[in-house]
Amino acid sequence: MIKDTWKFQPFTEEPIRLIDEEGNWIADFPLDLSEETLKKLYRDMVRGRLLDERYQIILRQGKTSFVAPSSGHEATQAGMAQAIRPGFDWLFPYYRDKTLLAAIGYPVEMLYAQMMATRLDPNKGRQMPEHPGLKELNVYTVASPIASHVPPAVGAAISMKIQGTGQVVLTTFGDGATSEGDWHAALNFAGAQGAPIVFAAENNRYAISVNFEKQSGSPRIADKAHAYGFPGYHVDGMDVLASYYVAREAVERARAGLGPSLVEFLVYRYGPHSSADDDRVYRSREEVEFWRKKDPIPRFERFLEKRGLWTPEEGERLREAIKAELLEAEAKAEAAGEVPPEWMFDDVYATPYWLLEEQKQILLSEL
Amino acid sequence: MAVLNIVQAVKRALDEEMARDERVVVLGEDVGKRGGVFLATEGLYQKYGPDRVIDTPLAEAAIIGAAVGMAAHGLRPVAEIQFADYVFPGFDQLVSQGAKLRYRSGGQFAAPMVVRMPSGGGVKGGHHHSQSPEAYFTHTAGLKVVVPSTPTDTLGLLKTAIRDDDPVVFMEPKRLYRAIKEEVPDEEFTIPLGKAKVRREGTDLTLIAYGGPTVEAMQAAEELEKVGVSAEVVDLRSLVPWDKEAVLESVAKTGRALVIAEAPRTSSFASEVAATIMEELLDQLLAPVYRVTGFDTPYPYVPDRQYMPTVTRILNFAKKALDY
Repeated sequence: MIKDTWKFQPFTEEPIRLIDEEGNWIADFPLDLSEETLKKLYRDMVRGRLLDERYQIILRQGKTSFVAPSSGHEATQAGMAQAIRPGFDWLFPYYRDKTLLAAIGYPVEMLYAQMMATRLDPNKGRQMPEHPGLKELNVYTVASPIASHVPPAVGAAISMKIQGTGQVVLTTFGDGATSEGDWHAALNFAGAQGAPIVFAAENNRYAISVNFEKQSGSPRIADKAHAYGFPGYHVDGMDVLASYYVAREAVERARAGLGPSLVEFLVYRYGPHSSADDDRVYRSREEVEFWRKKDPIPRFERFLEKRGLWTPEEGERLREAIKAELLEAEAKAEAAGEVPPEWMFDDVYATPYWLLEEQKQILLSEL
Repeated sequence: MAVLNIVQAVKRALDEEMARDERVVVLGEDVGKRGGVFLATEGLYQKYGPDRVIDTPLAEAAIIGAAVGMAAHGLRPVAEIQFADYVFPGFDQLVSQGAKLRYRSGGQFAAPMVVRMPSGGGVKGGHHHSQSPEAYFTHTAGLKVVVPSTPTDTLGLLKTAIRDDDPVVFMEPKRLYRAIKEEVPDEEFTIPLGKAKVRREGTDLTLIAYGGPTVEAMQAAEELEKVGVSAEVVDLRSLVPWDKEAVLESVAKTGRALVIAEAPRTSSFASEVAATIMEELLDQLLAPVYRVTGFDTPYPYVPDRQYMPTVTRILNFAKKALDY
C-alpha cells in the first residue's frame, strides 16, 4: 500500500536521483534538511573515504591483514546512517560498511581496534578485520558467510513487532548476497510477517569478479521485492540525498507498521573486492575511471557550494581535521595492545565447560 | 502424578515455559493451528496466540536464522524443525550464526534459543526421515546438544534448554515419542544439562547410550542378567556438555564399555566418548571400548530396524568385550 504522502514510487526503471552531477537539486519536493545535517552528511562521507584510505596504509604497514575497500559507497552509507535512530534501531551490516558505522557513532578507535585485533575491540579480536559489531549501538557483529546475517535481521525485526518496541532493523549487503538462498528465505519471511525492516543492497555491480549480469537475470535488484509483496526502490547510491531520503522513507514505512522495503543503491567500488583481490583481471581501468568521475563527494560539494555551505578551503580544513582525528584513534587502538591468546576460550558458552577448561590448560602449558 | 509420553512431555515443557516467561516463543512449520506434525505444540496457538506460536514459511534457514535474531533481540525462541533430516537448509544459520554469535561478538550478543528436532529412525521413514545428525552439531563449538530418552528427562531437560543462555539443539527420539509412558511429577522441575543418568547399576560392563538406543541398551542389560552378567546402563542425556565424570566412574568400576548410538560410526559422538575412555582409563580397561552404532550407509527404508544397534548387536559386542 503506497500512500499519497510518500515521496517515492517503487519499481522505477531509472534510479531515483535528487541531485544531478552538477550538484543541482532536481527533486519535485522541497529540501527539508538543516545546514547542520547537510554538513554532517558531507563530513560522514569524507570521514569514510579517509578511513578507507588510511586502512590501506595500515595494511601496508602490516598492522592489519585484510581490508574491504569501500570508496565509492560513501553516499549510500552516510545517507542510510542519517535515516535511522542509532542506538535505538538495529543495524545488521556487512563487511564494507565503515562509512555507515562511523556515521552512526561507532567509535573510530574501536573500528581500528577491530582491524588490528587489539584489546579495545569489543569483539575481543575474534574475527578477521572488517568484521565489527557493537552491542551498545545495536550493531550486530558482522559475519563472513554472505547473506547469513539477513535471516537473523528478520528475526530481530519480528521480535520488535511482537514486542511493539517501535524499533526498525536496517540490514545491508552487496549484490552477490541477493543470490543466496538465505537471502530469499529472509525476505520471504519478512514479507509474510510484515516485519519492520529495511533491506539495503549496496549494488556495486561486482561480487568479487562476477558482474551483476552474471549474478542475476533481473535488470534490477529492487524488482525482486515484487515477489515478496513489498516495495523495491532503485536508487542512485552516489547521490547522498537520494540515498538519505529513500532510506528515510523506507524506515518511516517500517516504523509505521507498513512492513519491509528493499532499497537498491547503485554504487561502485573503486578498489578491488579486498586486499586479496586483483580487479585488473576482470574490469578495465576505463570503467573504473568512468565511475570515479561520478564520485559522490565532489558531487555533493558542488551541491553545498551552490548553497554557500562549502568552499575548497573549508573542505581542505575538514580533511585535515579528520585525518588528525583518525591518526589519534589509530594510536589509541594500537596502544591498547594485543589480545592475549587465552582469550580464545572465553565466550564459547555463557558458563564454564570442563572440556574447554582442560584445553585451556593445554594452551597455557605451551605459552 | 500424570502419565506422559515424550510428545506430551515436550508440550508440557513448552506450555510451562511459555506461561512462566513471556519472552518464550515457538516458531516452525505447522506449529500453529495444526500443533505440529507430531502434535508437540498442540493447543499452544490457541492458548498463546499467533505472536507467540508462529507458523513460518517452509524454509529452515528462515526458521533458525530468525530464531537467532529474535534471541539476540531478547526473545527466547524455540524453533521446531519438522524432522532432523530437514535441518540442513538451516545448517549455516545454526553453525555460522547461532553457534558463533556469542564468540564472534566477544560476548556482546548471544543466541539463547532451542532448536527442537525429531531425530532417529525406526518409523519407516527412509533416510530422509530417520537420520541422527547430532555429530554435525557436537562438532560445532558454541552449540549445546541434548538427546533425552524418557518423558521425565524430556520435560526437565527441555525446560532447562529453554532457560539456557546458549543455543541448544534438542533432538527428540521420534520412535519413542509415543512408545514410552511414565509417571511424571506434577510439580515443576528441571534437569541440568551435562549430567548423565545411571539407568541401571551393574558391575561387569558399562553400556553407554543416549536417545533411542537407550531402550535397546536396557533390554540388552536384562538379557545379560539372565546369563549372569551385570551390566550398568549410563544414559548420557546431554552430549554437549557431556558428563565425562559419570562415564569414567562407571567404566572404572566395570572395566568394560560399549558406546551405543544410532548414528553412523565414523566421526560419531560415540567415537569421542570411546576415545576419551581409552585415553583416561587405559590401565583399568579389561577390553577395548567398542562402538555399537548405526552402519556407515545412508539410513535404509528396509531393513529399517536392523540398521540401528539392535539388542542382538549389543549382545554380540558385549560377548566380545567379556571374552576379550
